[in-house]
Amino acid sequence: MPSIERLIDEIMAASRIPSEKRRREVLRELRAHVEDFVSAGRQSGRGEEEIERLLLERFGDPRQIAQQFAWVYRRERAALHLGGFLISTVVVSLVILAGTISMRAGIMMGFGAPVVFGSRHTVAMALDILASAAAYLGLLSLGRFFGRPLAALAVVAAAFVAVFVAAGLPPQYILFGFANGALLRGIQVAVRHPALRLGGALACFGVLGAVFFRPSSSALVTTAASWLIMGSAYHLMTHVAARVDRALLRSM
Amino acid sequence: MEIDRELLKGSISLLLLNLLSRGEMYGYEILEAAAVRSANAFEFKEGTLYPALHQFEKKGLVSSEWRTGDNGRERKYYSLTAKGRKAAQKYERQWQHLTGAVNAVLGSK
Repeated sequence: MPSIERLIDEIMAASRIPSEKRRREVLRELRAHVEDFVSAGRQSGRGEEEIERLLLERFGDPRQIAQQFAWVYRRERAALHLGGFLISTVVVSLVILAGTISMRAGIMMGFGAPVVFGSRHTVAMALDILASAAAYLGLLSLGRFFGRPLAALAVVAAAFVAVFVAAGLPPQYILFGFANGALLRGIQVAVRHPALRLGGALACFGVLGAVFFRPSSSALVTTAASWLIMGSAYHLMTHVAARVDRALLRSM
Repeated sequence: MEIDRELLKGSISLLLLNLLSRGEMYGYEILEAAAVRSANAFEFKEGTLYPALHQFEKKGLVSSEWRTGDNGRERKYYSLTAKGRKAAQKYERQWQHLTGAVNAVLGSK
């Protein structure tokens, strides 16, 4: 009975039950129920069409059933969201750490080097990158968590600014971080081709870096090197973040 | 007789636990038992029954197990746990108390 199968599919799709295993079990249970109902109907001499109609009537609105299931499993879902958020943050932080270490190795940021070149430079850089990573992930995960991307954005932005202020970085870094984050996210959503994405990320870093920090001509080599490293690292970060997030929250 | 949803809401848990206290059952069996025992006065809907059973299982009131029944089909059987039996008794006492009180009010002049 295709209409019953469709109904069950609709229930399952809207139920947002976390874990594939549990969903399979609910599906199996509902199918068994339909089987019982149909065989009981046949035994009492009902026609297929009548059985189908009765069954659809009994099940009622699939969204309502789905809502009830969603309510039953709300805690598991929240835990999975939180777990996904934490795990993807850790994964991305590790990717970023690799980038930070390579920068510590000597190829420091060329953009605005005279301004922030000091003892806290490395710490500040690490904070900057971690904050960007958290902000990016926050947008992905909190947006779904609260169903209100704008509210999530405001929360993440506030945290972002707080970290920057605590690290004592000049304001253009905040603008640079935000402009970059917004553009990278846009590129990731709009551009499908991987090479174009990487090119877009690098161009976005290059243009914004030149506008915000006006590198001196004497530091052109380090500027170019840091531009390539930072751009690739951020690109990798957004790539990994999206992958991890998608894999973890596929069932949401 | 069609019973108002709001009125029915509070009694669903009691009915379910009471039916299961007579022995383990799977979903379809529960619906049938409810209809038969109440002479079709009650009709559990699938959309109420299964989420409620899952909620009970999460609360530890029932446990479930997939088994092949007498008819050769695999079904998910639900049975009361010790906690569930206690809850069933508690609900029943509360229900008797409540209906007694409601009837007393309805019957008073």
